[in-house]
Amino acid sequence: MIQNYLKIAFRNLLRNKVYTFIHVLGLGLGISAFVFILEYVSLEKSVNQFHTNVDRMYRLVNVATDGASWGEVEPGWAALAKERFPEIEDYCRFADGIASGVMQKAEGGESFKEESIGYVEGNFFEFFTFPLLKGSAEALKQPNVIFLSESTAAKYFGKTEAPGKTLLLHNQFGKTTFTVGGIYKDMTDLSDIRYDMVLSLETLKSPANTNGNDWVRLDNLDNQYINAFFLVREQANYQELEAKFNTLRNELSQENDGIVFRLQAATNIHLAPSLNDPLLTTGNVKYVYMLAGIALLILLIAWFNYINLSTANALKRANEVGVRKVIGATQAHLIGQFLGESLLTNGLGFCFALMLVGTLQPLFAELIGKQVSLQILGNTPFWMYGLGLLLAGSVLSGLYSAWILSRFKVIETLKGKRTSNSRGIWLRKGLVVGQFVISTSLILATIVIYSQLRHLQTGELGINTEQLLVVSGPQIGKDSTFATRSNAFVQTLAEQSFVQEYATSNVVPSRYYNFRTSGFTQPGSKPKDELKSYAFAVIGDRYLKTYGISIKAGRNFTPQETDVEWNNNSKVMLNERAVAELGFSSPEEAIQTKIKWDERYLEVIGVVADYHHTSLKNSIDPIIFYPQKSAVYYSIRLTPEGMGDKVAKLEKLYKTSFPGNPFDFFFMDENYQKAYYEEQQYGKLFTTASLLAVFIACLGLFGLATYTVESRTKEIGVRKVLGASVSSVVMLLSKDFLALVGVAILIASPVAAYFLNQWLQDFPYRIAMEWWIFVAAAGLALLIAFVTVGFQSVKAGLMNPVDSLRSE
Amino acid sequence: MIKLNQIAKHYPAGFGKVYVLRQIDLTIQEGEFVSIMGPSGSGKSTLLHILGLLEEPSEGEYRFLDEPVQKLSEKKRTELHRHHIGFVFQAYHLIDELTVYENIETPLLYKGVSGSERKSRVAELLDRFNMVAKKDLFPSQLSGGQQQLVGVARALVHQPKVIFADEPTGNLHSEQADEIMELFQKLNKEDKVTIVQVTHSEKNATYGTRTIRLKDGWMA
Repeated sequence: MIQNYLKIAFRNLLRNKVYTFIHVLGLGLGISAFVFILEYVSLEKSVNQFHTNVDRMYRLVNVATDGASWGEVEPGWAALAKERFPEIEDYCRFADGIASGVMQKAEGGESFKEESIGYVEGNFFEFFTFPLLKGSAEALKQPNVIFLSESTAAKYFGKTEAPGKTLLLHNQFGKTTFTVGGIYKDMTDLSDIRYDMVLSLETLKSPANTNGNDWVRLDNLDNQYINAFFLVREQANYQELEAKFNTLRNELSQENDGIVFRLQAATNIHLAPSLNDPLLTTGNVKYVYMLAGIALLILLIAWFNYINLSTANALKRANEVGVRKVIGATQAHLIGQFLGESLLTNGLGFCFALMLVGTLQPLFAELIGKQVSLQILGNTPFWMYGLGLLLAGSVLSGLYSAWILSRFKVIETLKGKRTSNSRGIWLRKGLVVGQFVISTSLILATIVIYSQLRHLQTGELGINTEQLLVVSGPQIGKDSTFATRSNAFVQTLAEQSFVQEYATSNVVPSRYYNFRTSGFTQPGSKPKDELKSYAFAVIGDRYLKTYGISIKAGRNFTPQETDVEWNNNSKVMLNERAVAELGFSSPEEAIQTKIKWDERYLEVIGVVADYHHTSLKNSIDPIIFYPQKSAVYYSIRLTPEGMGDKVAKLEKLYKTSFPGNPFDFFFMDENYQKAYYEEQQYGKLFTTASLLAVFIACLGLFGLATYTVESRTKEIGVRKVLGASVSSVVMLLSKDFLALVGVAILIASPVAAYFLNQWLQDFPYRIAMEWWIFVAAAGLALLIAFVTVGFQSVKAGLMNPVDSLRSE
Repeated sequence: MIKLNQIAKHYPAGFGKVYVLRQIDLTIQEGEFVSIMGPSGSGKSTLLHILGLLEEPSEGEYRFLDEPVQKLSEKKRTELHRHHIGFVFQAYHLIDELTVYENIETPLLYKGVSGSERKSRVAELLDRFNMVAKKDLFPSQLSGGQQQLVGVARALVHQPKVIFADEPTGNLHSEQADEIMELFQKLNKEDKVTIVQVTHSEKNATYGTRTIRLKDGWMA
């Protein structure tokens, strides 16, 4: 019996090549999109889960009164907590950001700028599960020890044995020598902790190694710069522990800023356990859900195709159903047979999908910017859910078609009556509408995302980024002669004919501020004003001029003012937001006022026009500008022609002035674009998804059009004999389909507009959902549908009526 | 074997109803070869469909093998089709995707007959109808007469008590038609299969043992 079913199924698939092609192609594309996204979800879900003790690990997190949370805490809490709270078995701290600098192979040797580098607790390799390839984990408990990842070791030492060798690190803590203590396997995308090299935190205990940076002291409770993870004993109640942490904080901390501690389970650090979990995560659970949703929608479109085409095609097979019933088939027999056919088709689609996945894997990895593969599916049980879903969908779509087919009344089918199953027609129409609701929504999303991206990319920043190049200041050779050499370098810059403008500063636009801080008040301040947070930017006297930022009131810093030592300085500038935040009614009012910063008084000498320091994704922060002649960055505006040549010249000048330092530079406009990486990813993703959705939906539409033409051949023949033109036949056949697409557009527009508006709310600077966006999406959907249906309609219109009438 | 008592069939039409069959009393004994005749629209096909349990009568009682069958579930009806009834259609109604062999075999599959028995029964019929050479061909590769032979073979393969034939020769030219009718006669006489056929042709009716005439739904 099964054999008989399979035989028929195969022969039917072969006989209806167009439909088979549509089904297999549509299902294949749908399933491969699904598999890809399943890979991505599995990857995201398995991040950080490989640590042996992950279930007992918690991260200490700060949560401010406005709900913002961050993982950097004061370093002193960890040891105190372990001492006082019996629930805590162990802790591990690590600090990134503060470590970055230039790594040199030997005095005067080759050097590299290193950003992926951290100071970590001595037990780092015991606490976390990062396999060591060489060396003992214990070594990290000593000061001045460095562990390298496999590929970093190769970068510095090639094939020679790395352990025992020394490296020189030049960073904010001065020049420090490290001995390679071990080599670990490269940390992958499966971990949120990803370092090319780790330094023993023990190093920072010695004041000799901190270059006077007192804030880094490992027992201090004032400066938040370190990540602290705790291993909690089994059966410990982490909520009680959290409360104990807060009690401890209230007891010992000087600050009264409303910030509280939370313990975040290590399993939830990458993806929040739910959409409304407020704590900071490294991954984005919204994005994961959205992708999963899109995958499901695309798959749904493919299954709708199956239901639509198989039930439309059912009339052709009505006779077979009738005959089979007469010779003894029950409805169950027939359902079995048609279900078999659908499973076979789905199976073929699945095989095709596997081929596609194999071929397109690298493209997908590039699209989402992660290392994904089929193997990753094994990390989580999601592949089982996925397979279950695929199976359920195949069975359900097949079962529905089978049920429709098997319900035909024998006598009607045998008499040749075309049982115009009106419910079936409505269902088909509904499904087509559903498919185009999804497709049109995705088209709308694509247009909106790209418009917003363009809006961000081309929006007015308030600064001039043209031909502006930023070179990182040197780390090697920051001795007593450095200030003189830096001045000399700046002087050389000024002398170059291709340099239009230049400035030194401690921060540059498109990168973050020096820090954020509160505690500012002016004489007329209201209570609690000291809790407001301000961005802090340390700049030289040429910064504003070089970036084309205008001064609204007062004056700029003088070169002499930038020479004053940090603690002796008494002058600041504000931006307009800061003026408003402090409670001044106008920039002029702020000028010459002395504002209070904790215990110090600072005179406002000037107010600068607002500009977007970070990116257009954020609203403008209140900024306090502080004068210093530090050279963390050299900003240089070049004359327009012959860029490459000038960069080479600059590099030569830089290397002459600061021997041994890598020439690390970026262009200001390009760096701003990096801020929109996420939106670009969204854009690419939605483009791909909408192309897929539209294509699969059109496959189905094409199939339905083919079917319609087939079943109306005789009618078209008669109409042509009576004098119908080709265009009137095309209209006759297309208008029903276009009406469905029209209904879909009417449904999709408000729904998509709602969600897209939600998305846009995250941007302080956003486009309006203008009418043309909807017109464009609607026009596109209609055009695509018309072309798809039109192909079959024109063919029908051009048909010789004699043929169609004779064939009946 | 078949007993109709005051059978009527009507369809709703506008506010009233249209009668296709009226007050039919009919008894058919096992082993008979009955021809139903009458002009177009006289209700003969409807009568055959009612006899073959493809349609339900609107009024009256129908006893098949001494059981009332005018209201049967689809499952019971299928049971009767599987075991006791064979159909031959004017348009043959073979399954296009199946070969001659497979077409004949299908009723046995639904009946749940074992593989070896299926093989021997189908082989026997192919042999008897001289179609062994054509067993792997598809219906579209056969002439009308040959297709109808397959149709008859399929109607016979599960050894039914009665065969209902709806203008079995309507699409055939006379030579092929005679062949089919002779086959029916032989089946009736030698194999004792009861046959009820609807026909337009007086000549075909002569192959039978009894003729029933219908006019405007009444039995003449």
